[in-house]
Amino acid sequence: MSATTGYYIPGDSWLHARHPLTKLLGVGFILLAAFLLPPIFLAPIATGLLVLALTAGLLAATVRALRIPAVLLASIVAINAVLYPGASDPWLALGPFTLTGEGLTFGLVSAGRLLTVFLAAILFLFTTLADDLMEALVARGVSHRIAFVVLSAVQLVPRMQVRAGAILEAQQARGLSVRGSPARRLRALVPLIGPVVLGSLVDVRERTFALEARGFGAGSHRTAYRLVIDPPIDRWLRWGLGAASTAVVVGALLGVGR
Amino acid sequence: MTRPEPRLALTGAGVRYAGRRRPALEGVDVDVRSGERVGVTGRSGAGKSTLALLAGGFIPRVVHARTCGVTSVGGLDVTKPLDPGALLGRVGIVFASPANQLSASKRTVREELAFGLENLAVPRQAMDTRIDGVLQQLGIGHLADREPLALSGGEQQRVAIAAIIAMGPTILVLDEPTSQLDPAGRRDVAALLDTLAAGGAAILCAEHDAGMLGGMERIMVLEQGRVVGTDRPGVALGRTVAGSVGLPSPSLVRLAEFAGVGGDSAFDEAAIAAGLSSASSAIRHGSLASRRQARTDDWRTPDRAGADSRPVPAGWTPVRDREGVEVEFDGIHYSYEGDIAAVRDASLRVVAGEAVAIIGQNGSGKTTLVKHVNGLLRPDAGEVRIDGRNIAADRIERLAATVGFVFQDPADQLFERSVEREVAFGPRSLGIDADLTAALVDQSLEVVGLGHERATNPYDLDLSLRRLVSLASVLAQDPAVLVLDEPTAGQDAEAVLLITSIIRAWCAGGRTAIAITHDMEFAALAFDRVVVMRDGSLVADGPPGQILSMAQAPLLASTGLTPPPTARVAAALGLETAPAGVDALLSILQSDT
Repeated sequence: MSATTGYYIPGDSWLHARHPLTKLLGVGFILLAAFLLPPIFLAPIATGLLVLALTAGLLAATVRALRIPAVLLASIVAINAVLYPGASDPWLALGPFTLTGEGLTFGLVSAGRLLTVFLAAILFLFTTLADDLMEALVARGVSHRIAFVVLSAVQLVPRMQVRAGAILEAQQARGLSVRGSPARRLRALVPLIGPVVLGSLVDVRERTFALEARGFGAGSHRTAYRLVIDPPIDRWLRWGLGAASTAVVVGALLGVGR
Repeated sequence: MTRPEPRLALTGAGVRYAGRRRPALEGVDVDVRSGERVGVTGRSGAGKSTLALLAGGFIPRVVHARTCGVTSVGGLDVTKPLDPGALLGRVGIVFASPANQLSASKRTVREELAFGLENLAVPRQAMDTRIDGVLQQLGIGHLADREPLALSGGEQQRVAIAAIIAMGPTILVLDEPTSQLDPAGRRDVAALLDTLAAGGAAILCAEHDAGMLGGMERIMVLEQGRVVGTDRPGVALGRTVAGSVGLPSPSLVRLAEFAGVGGDSAFDEAAIAAGLSSASSAIRHGSLASRRQARTDDWRTPDRAGADSRPVPAGWTPVRDREGVEVEFDGIHYSYEGDIAAVRDASLRVVAGEAVAIIGQNGSGKTTLVKHVNGLLRPDAGEVRIDGRNIAADRIERLAATVGFVFQDPADQLFERSVEREVAFGPRSLGIDADLTAALVDQSLEVVGLGHERATNPYDLDLSLRRLVSLASVLAQDPAVLVLDEPTAGQDAEAVLLITSIIRAWCAGGRTAIAITHDMEFAALAFDRVVVMRDGSLVADGPPGQILSMAQAPLLASTGLTPPPTARVAAALGLETAPAGVDALLSILQSDT
């Protein structure tokens, strides 16, 4: 992973070839569908996303990426399974905790929704260059400053990961142990988080200077060197995704399927 | 429309930051005209960067501060409210960190150069012509399709300059543009400035590097925000100007002064060698000793260094008895994931009490190799042994008790709210008892001359001093082996002398020091052995007098290095080995006569 390309995995699949806004709209549609459609749809949507990943040659990378939200998703399931308030169907008493069917169901649905959105987002990041996204947004009339904020947000995590790796090395070389009891591990976070935050602030200052030097704050009008291809099929796809998103919202408002 | 005249003129210019008692810059007068290169030098914190930000139109527009006087950039007073667009056609500014000047979003150098043109709303059809012109002008056409962040530091800095030049400024301001570059990168940037000045640009360049400063028409010396003097490089960097505020002179200037060579020839090695030869009669008659006495380490003389200068540091002495150790790399081979080999079959033995410099251009594998000493990296093949024991199973935090590692970027390390707490972090993490920790902290802060900054937040110090805090925090671990990654990068001449004295004292106490450096004079002065790396392999190993001599110039050139200036002058005088600095060269001449 480089700081330039972030999570982007070079490729020439049909998914790579889609216009960034088409894919962004796709992520938006999945987000709406995951949270507004009945839970029964979650499994087909997640399966569909995995099939998309397979056809784009990204299944292995997508499955590997699942380790990022794994702890969060498992915690959501576990905590809701035993601590769901007001649940009336206890399955098993475990000391102060009680495993309930309602809680487990709620936990699984919540985790499933997040997992589905995560799959859509990671496929978007794997197949979209951040710079293409910025240019596509600017070409659609979005302020280049806002577009650059979006770009920076996409690049933030990879940049911080690189920095955090260097900081971990530097502090371990001073005798910092990141093993041991939870309390010890928690204490070890201070020398790691401090330089990450302070270093990021220094980075932001230097990058601000660099952008100013390159005329980023010079005026509102801007031209583009790199043209982002927008094939005709993408226009149809965007219409389709727009219509589908509208249908999901209207359906949810009308209570269809509830 | 006529283009504005490429002229930078500051008259009585001053800057004061909010909350600061003293102005950062006061009463600065400088006039840089078309085709001129004016260098700015001085101690870290003397006001060089502030001057660059003012001349580049960043103060007060981007960096808020009170200003006074007139700062005319291409006829526009930048201290008055102005349209940023008008400034872009006149002046461009280049900073020290190559990577942070790039947009970090472009996949090719060509796109990177287009970024500034996009912001200037240059029509797309006109961009390629301008980009091709700049690539050709600066001789970096071969980089056009490369990924900017994958380039070497020197290449990135050339791209950063090209990206500014593509926007069409006629005045160029640079703030320590070579501080993070290897010698090859510095030469590239110097050649680039020559080309631009020949094309009519007016250039103002803040620098520490003597090689860069030697190529300028004039040098301005700053001290505590004020101009000490402005003159030709040989004069400004010599005794009468830089020396008057206790700044050490570059080696060539010192030799030129000894040889009686005039200011215009102070960087002309042949003229210096000829001058030294003809001065041999003076040397024979014993006047050398009096000359040397007068010149000895002006930086140590507090009354010449100014009221706010750093206190004179005490020499390093061991706080506790500790046996030295032997470090052995045996057939180390290492590849980063999915990449070609970074280190190939590297074997090196460093005995207790030895100081070893590892040199080579960026990407030659130096850092990768030394990261094996404390377990930050584990070899794909081969072994690292400390006192004969394989450290493969030892955890990094355990090895920290034996090996102290000073990283190049202090931002990766510093997090405490005071310098004292920061320096105490290492020994506390290692479980050293409180009394000994206190003694180690005292010793380490005194050694680096920061005893008076104990309560200061490290981030309130400038980068040069933060690097010294980082060094002190590792010295306080009291390791047997000290590893330093580019300890002199971006440091002024005083700090380089300080680090040299620490390393010499460290090894005299039986400890071991291994340092990566691009500074050939530092390598010659501070180390017992010099190891050369090229493409991941060790290609030479020997005493600095041999490795850094002109006889090894072809080998050094193959990895982007050149012998230090004293070695080049020594060779011109017919000496075969490289002397360890100016004093050593003069001693050799004295003993020969």
